[in-house]
Amino acid sequence: MITPGSKYFFGLTGLSLIAAILYMVLVNPTDLGAVALFGLATSGALIGVMASFTRDGDVYTDEEAVAANAVAGPPSFWPIVFALGAALVLTGLATVSVVFILGIAVLIGGGVEWTIQNWADGASSDREFNEFARARAISAIEYPGLAAVGLGVIAFFFSRVVLAVSKEAGPIIFIVVAAVIFVIGVLIASKPFMKGAVTVVVAVLAVVALAAVGTIAALSGERHELAVAAEEDHFDASHRECGEEESEHYDHLANNTVSLRSAVTATIFVKDGKVYAEAIGMTKKVDTITIPRSNATSVMFRNLDDEKHRLVVNLGSAKVAETGVAEKVGTCTQLTGKNQEQVMTLKIPKPATETEPYSFTVPGATGEIKLVVP
Amino acid sequence: MDIVNNVKSSSHRIRNSIATVIGIVALSGCATNAPQDTWQPKGDNAQVINNLQWIIFPMAGVVGVLVFAFAAYTFWKFNDRGQPIPSQSHGKPVVEIILTIIPALILTVVGVFTFRGIFELANTEDTEMVINVTGQQWWWEYDYPAQDDQGITQPIISSGQLVIPVGTKVLLRETSRDVIHSYWIPALNGKKDAVPGRINLLRLQADKPGIFAGQCTEFCGLSHANMRMEAIALSKEDFAKWVANQQKDYTSPAAGSLANEGEGVFLNQCIRCHQVNGLKKADGTPALAAPDENVYSGAAPNLSHLMSRNTFAGAKFDLLRKSCRSDVWDASSETIGAKYLAGVSESCLNATDLRAWLRNAPAMKPMYADPAKLGASGGKYRGMPNLGLTETDIDKLVAYLLTLK
Amino acid sequence: MSSNELTLTPSQSPGLVKSPLSISPSGSLGAVRRPVNTTGWREWLFTVDHKKIGIMYGCVAFVFFIVGGVEALFIRLQLALPDGRILSADKYNQMFTMHATTMIFLFAMPMAAAFANYFLPLQIGARDVAFPRLNALSFWLFVSGGLILNASWFLGGAADGGWFMYAPNSGPVFSPSNGVDFWVLGLQIAGIASLIGSINLIVTVLNMRAPGMTLMKMPVFTWMILVVQFLLVFSLPVITVALVLLMFQRSYGATFFDVSQGADPLLWQHLFWIFGHPEVYVLILPGFGIISEVLPTFSRKPLFGYPFVVFSGASIGLVGFGVWAHHMFASGLGPVSVAVFSMATMAIAIPTGVKIFNWLLTMWGGKIWYSAAMKFAIGLVILFTIGGLSGVTHAVAPSDTQQTDTYYIVAHFHYVLFGGMVFGLFSGFYYWWPKVFGKMLNEKLGSWNFWLMVIGMNLTFGPMHILGLQGQPRRMYVWTEARAGEGFFNFGFWNLVSSIGSFVLSVGVLFFIINVIKTTRNPERAPLDPWDARTLEWLTTSPPKVHNFDRIPVVHHLDEFFHRKYVEDETTHAMTQIATGEDLMRAEEAAADTGIHMPGPSYWPLLLAIGVAVLGMGVIYGTPIMVVGALVVLFSSFGWVLEPSVPEPIDFDSPSTDGHTKEIAPLG
Repeated sequence: MITPGSKYFFGLTGLSLIAAILYMVLVNPTDLGAVALFGLATSGALIGVMASFTRDGDVYTDEEAVAANAVAGPPSFWPIVFALGAALVLTGLATVSVVFILGIAVLIGGGVEWTIQNWADGASSDREFNEFARARAISAIEYPGLAAVGLGVIAFFFSRVVLAVSKEAGPIIFIVVAAVIFVIGVLIASKPFMKGAVTVVVAVLAVVALAAVGTIAALSGERHELAVAAEEDHFDASHRECGEEESEHYDHLANNTVSLRSAVTATIFVKDGKVYAEAIGMTKKVDTITIPRSNATSVMFRNLDDEKHRLVVNLGSAKVAETGVAEKVGTCTQLTGKNQEQVMTLKIPKPATETEPYSFTVPGATGEIKLVVP
Repeated sequence: MDIVNNVKSSSHRIRNSIATVIGIVALSGCATNAPQDTWQPKGDNAQVINNLQWIIFPMAGVVGVLVFAFAAYTFWKFNDRGQPIPSQSHGKPVVEIILTIIPALILTVVGVFTFRGIFELANTEDTEMVINVTGQQWWWEYDYPAQDDQGITQPIISSGQLVIPVGTKVLLRETSRDVIHSYWIPALNGKKDAVPGRINLLRLQADKPGIFAGQCTEFCGLSHANMRMEAIALSKEDFAKWVANQQKDYTSPAAGSLANEGEGVFLNQCIRCHQVNGLKKADGTPALAAPDENVYSGAAPNLSHLMSRNTFAGAKFDLLRKSCRSDVWDASSETIGAKYLAGVSESCLNATDLRAWLRNAPAMKPMYADPAKLGASGGKYRGMPNLGLTETDIDKLVAYLLTLK
Repeated sequence: MSSNELTLTPSQSPGLVKSPLSISPSGSLGAVRRPVNTTGWREWLFTVDHKKIGIMYGCVAFVFFIVGGVEALFIRLQLALPDGRILSADKYNQMFTMHATTMIFLFAMPMAAAFANYFLPLQIGARDVAFPRLNALSFWLFVSGGLILNASWFLGGAADGGWFMYAPNSGPVFSPSNGVDFWVLGLQIAGIASLIGSINLIVTVLNMRAPGMTLMKMPVFTWMILVVQFLLVFSLPVITVALVLLMFQRSYGATFFDVSQGADPLLWQHLFWIFGHPEVYVLILPGFGIISEVLPTFSRKPLFGYPFVVFSGASIGLVGFGVWAHHMFASGLGPVSVAVFSMATMAIAIPTGVKIFNWLLTMWGGKIWYSAAMKFAIGLVILFTIGGLSGVTHAVAPSDTQQTDTYYIVAHFHYVLFGGMVFGLFSGFYYWWPKVFGKMLNEKLGSWNFWLMVIGMNLTFGPMHILGLQGQPRRMYVWTEARAGEGFFNFGFWNLVSSIGSFVLSVGVLFFIINVIKTTRNPERAPLDPWDARTLEWLTTSPPKVHNFDRIPVVHHLDEFFHRKYVEDETTHAMTQIATGEDLMRAEEAAADTGIHMPGPSYWPLLLAIGVAVLGMGVIYGTPIMVVGALVVLFSSFGWVLEPSVPEPIDFDSPSTDGHTKEIAPLG
């Protein structure tokens, strides 16, 4: 049913749709402006449907007698919520955008609730039925909305906690919390009398505790290595220091396990200070590894010695574009300890020249493995 | 296998159906000399598979015949001839259990043989020679790492045709540059996928010299049907000659010849993607191809010693004229080595296809080689584009390519 | 909407009695008045009746059967001669991809859903499925998915990566057209449809069986459908995950299958086949279920070893989850994995064999009536046996490495799927046509239909065994004479035979269509119980009433309907007829229930499905379209939630109660 109020919103929807299409054709189809105009159309349509559905929130009757007979609605706190939303919006505009967004959310939530409440109050002269009508109409929005907010809050605070504690403690906390939830769940399920108030109290306490711990964790910041890693990219090739000694940045947080062993073409070992290699399918140790040109190929490095070692690949030299100076080309793995391994993925576009053959070496160990790109 | 047409007219139903099934089994060998026949093993690995096939196929045939005979008898015997409605019996558990155990027993026997076969084929302990095989859209690259005990002192690189010595346990280390392909020479072994990022192993061994056909069997895009390959088994002496030829140094064609001008065209155009080992630029520096800048897979066939091969463009086209081709393909195992090693002479060259290819490659083989449609691959081709060569350029190039023996 | 008269009516909601001068509450809270008393096309568009939905499923699936069949004919035309020029390489790749996708997802699964929808509630003595509106949603989502998949033909080319869509060939670089995007979204939407449908049917079977019908008194068709629904519930999430990964890779730049970023392309294969192998049983088990109804009926004997058939079906379903890697014997899994999966694959042959023996033994000692339905059922038993035996030959992994990706495999799975599933479905058409439409399909045309399909099918797929064993790989847009062998019976001969066979097969299917048209024009009504049938769906009129049964039957036997008609002599075991189907029907009508409560039609399933389709198109064509789709989805979900499952009197144009009802508060 098209009510006067919904006409306005549907008009808004239509015009902003046209504007959005024009914007897309004339300016830029993927621009934020198009999304914003579409958003306007969307919200216009939503509010319009809501307005027509509730007949602008009015009980439509011309009969004075009937109107007089309508019961007054129960006291409502939605106007206050709505006002709070408005206040938040204004505060947010002046201060931080988070408050502004929060204000918008409160404004929309309060507005929707208020509208439905007002409509339901006029549904009939039976307050009990009106309450039923309100719940029926709003539950479909309220429950999923509240559930989303609740899950978001839990996920947010929990993630803050896990980011703040050490790498080892994270999984333990995860397991303990899961176990506690499970035990409480079993208790509640097996003791039906616990349902109701007790359950609610437990749940509320848990959420409050989580929020408190999460806030503290968020304030104390993320654990050290994450904060450091966020600052600069130590995994970038230009940071690599391929010497024998430990590099302050690059060797920090080496990952010493290889997950896809089936995907390596060969494994290079260091044992008793000597380098040797085994290639998949080859029965003997090899001193040459062949890698097809331009093919991403992985080589594994496994250190069997007590000292830490790294694998270095030398790929000749090339002139640096800006300076014209020939610099060595190559890369290396991180330093790895005894019985640990690292993987190196290479994609080499050209064969080596005769003067500068490619090779693998391990600083601090003798021997080299030739690398052939046919 | 030849046609066995022993279906005799007989009134006896069971004999008749057995004969039919034998006929069907025999018919599966109908085409003679099909190059990719899976029932004609020419080496150890394929023989292991064939032995298993000779267990499971007859077994399936016999079970089929028994079931069909029983079914046919039932259909005939219990046709509605006005008999009363039978009693509503719900079955006999004893019969059920027996009929469950019998197939289980049969399959256990098959399982034991299968198990043995799987591990026998997976064995790579006694490998004698290793070849790296790299698939890409839509051709195969072979590179032979230096292996002194096989007489290979320098790495060899080739494409299209795999050359192996007879009686040698050859291990293919397969991988791929782009999508998944599958390497399959039915006469020598079953198939094994070439998966990018992985090294898959496939053992081949040929008993006698010969040419064995194969085909990429994992769907790999537009020209999947045109991605063929051949394995050529040579006697050990012939293989040594082949290796020696592949390791021969490059020599420029004589100055002033048509071929020499062709080298110039090659350095101008083809070198962008195709490597010829030992080729030098006019200033004497080595001419290095940069396929990674032009082709999505980052590689194009290495054309060193092109004319020692019999095919080009992913083995879709023959380098030999039809009569010369059948001369090699139909040769006996004693003579094939010499014929293959002769390579492609000017009189035997299939100039029609080669020239058409140089003139406009995308018209000869479906590829993503339209410069206007390369958005998704960052402007790189997937296959040889139309280079717009003039007929004179083509003459020169063909003359040059013929020198790449 | 503006009205000056106000008529006050008594409340529609019991318990809320008002004083005369109050505003009475409206009964309905729906945002839009629901469609009731619909006729014409509206009757079908907004229906939630499981029988109407079943018929629509069947019609749409049959249309897709023809589409897929035409695609197959193009393929066979291209391959009839060497170096075929009917299709370009690109079009051919699209053709075989869409042939498989259409046949599996748009014909076989929905056609099984058609049978399940129509007959499952009837066989268990229920009035409808558990969630009628969800049922309608399943259907409309399936239609949306099918349309999206096929829309790609007109929007830049269909998917070209094969129905298995192996990574990385399905990535944006190797398949740059939008075809794969349409494929991914179409399948996701069709997948939602199947998932919803399977949950619906599981709940229906477990909760809505007639009194006395224990699980072991359930008809085998219902059992097989139940097993299939469990297979779907556990396998569809896996393919959905794979499709989502692929969607993100293609549309949003993710690198799940990008090798240069450290990905392993075999991930896709595992995900795909963990879904893909159970899917094979999803396709075949409904066929098994249908002939497990047809064979006993026309043999006049109960199914031999009912519990064995049921449990072998269930164990096929279970073991079906443990054999996926037999599709990957050539991809380099390593000998241990290959051996394990090889053994598991052999193990699955055992319950399959049990089924075949039981069908044969059902006929043994029977009184066989070779009707068209029975012929198709027997056709399934024989052709499926051939397919099963060729299946065992590639359970032997080393042998499979010679056969996989050749025409031998094509032959194998067409014997299993065409010979198995399609023959089962046709058997079902002939068996249940009188039940659904109240008319008998012509038996003579049925015979033509059967024999042409048998001959055509064997001509088409039989030679593929030979082609495959002699080394012709599949998925090649041309075959070349260079690899075709010599002699009269070379590849050229067999490819031509196969192509001719495919046209014979099409003529066979054409006979079915002719039969349907002829039957529709024939005014003659079918008898109530034309086959002397055995199960509950025959204990109602043909076609069944909206509420299915006049009274809910109480079940005492497996094959309840048969046992109401016949009694067995205790000592001689001779069967005596004590009633006909008509007698039983009269008894039911005489004792009909009153006040039967049926679900009302609804707009929302259709609208929601449209919203999901628009959302899907938004993934391909940009965010603004997605916003529109999301809006429609939200709006229709809201409407759905507010709509009561049963129509209120206020929904009707002419009020069902006395007096003049007037909408006061515009709730409805």
